[in-house]
Amino acid sequence: MGTNDADAGLVREMSASSDTTRERDLRFEAEALPFIDDVYRFALSLTRDAADADDVVQETFLRAYRSWHTFQPGSDARRWLFTITRNVFLRSRERERRHVDLEDGDLEALNTFAAHSDMVRDGSDQILSRIDLAPALRRALDELDEPFKSAVLLVDLEDQSYEAASQILGVPIGTVRSRLFRGRRILQDKLITYARDAGFSTAQRGQRGSKDD
Amino acid sequence: MTECNRDDIDCRTAVEKLWDYLDEELTPERMDDVRRHLERCGECLPHHDYARVFLAALSAAREGETRAPDALRRRVIDSLRAAGFTS
Repeated sequence: MGTNDADAGLVREMSASSDTTRERDLRFEAEALPFIDDVYRFALSLTRDAADADDVVQETFLRAYRSWHTFQPGSDARRWLFTITRNVFLRSRERERRHVDLEDGDLEALNTFAAHSDMVRDGSDQILSRIDLAPALRRALDELDEPFKSAVLLVDLEDQSYEAASQILGVPIGTVRSRLFRGRRILQDKLITYARDAGFSTAQRGQRGSKDD
Repeated sequence: MTECNRDDIDCRTAVEKLWDYLDEELTPERMDDVRRHLERCGECLPHHDYARVFLAALSAAREGETRAPDALRRRVIDSLRAAGFTS
C-alpha cells in the first residue's frame, strides 16, 4: 500500500470516527438530555437540597455521557439515568449502604394493615380525611430515610415497576418490595403524627356528626 | 408446585399481597385470587380502599412541575462539552 492509500484510509477512518462521535452525541442529546427534568426531580427528592441536587444531576449526565456506549438503543433511557442518579447519590452518602434489609415484604404488608386496623379501631383513620394529604406526604417523603425513600420514589412517584426499581437500585425484587412496603408504612405513621400535631384528635370520631365547622 | 384452590385464599394471604395487588405486580391468577377475596371479605376490603386512597395521594405528591433550573441546564451542557460533547 502506498503512502497516499494509507493517508486516504486514515482520513476515511477519522471521518467515520467523527461521524460516529457526532451521531453518538446527537443520540445522547435526543434520548438522554430530555430527561433532565426527571433526573432533577429524582435528585432533588433524594438529596432534599437544591445545590446537592445540581451536583448529582451534573455528575449523572457526565457519567451517562461517558458510558453512553453501554446504553442499549431502544431501552428505557429514563430508567438508565435513574440508575446512574441513584448511584451518584449513594456514593455521596456512603453510610446508607450499611442498611440491613429485612427482606420480608409479606410481613411489612401485614404490619401496615394491622396498623390500619388499629387506626380504624381508635378512629385515627378519620384524621387522614381531615388533612391535605399531598403536602403532608411531600413533607413525610422529605423526612423518609434511605433506602426506603428511593423505593417509594421510584415505584409510587415515578411509576416504575418492581422489576425496573430492582434494576435501578441493583437489589433483588424482594428487597424492593420490603423497602417499598416499609417506606409506605413509615409514611402512614408520619401522616398520623402530623395530623395529631395539627390538633386533630381521635376523640373527634364520636363527634363527627356534630362537627360542622 | 401444586395447584391450590384459588377461591380460597385467606385474609392473611390477601393482606400480605394487597400492596402487590394494588401495584398490579401479581400473576393474573394471583390477581384474581385477591380480587375474589376482596369481593367477599368485609374485613379486608377497607384495607384495600384505604391503601388505594393512600397510593393515589402519594402519586399526586409527585412534584409534577419540577423543572431543572436554566442555570443547571447550562452547567450540565458545559460539563458535557468539556468531556467532548459536540452538540
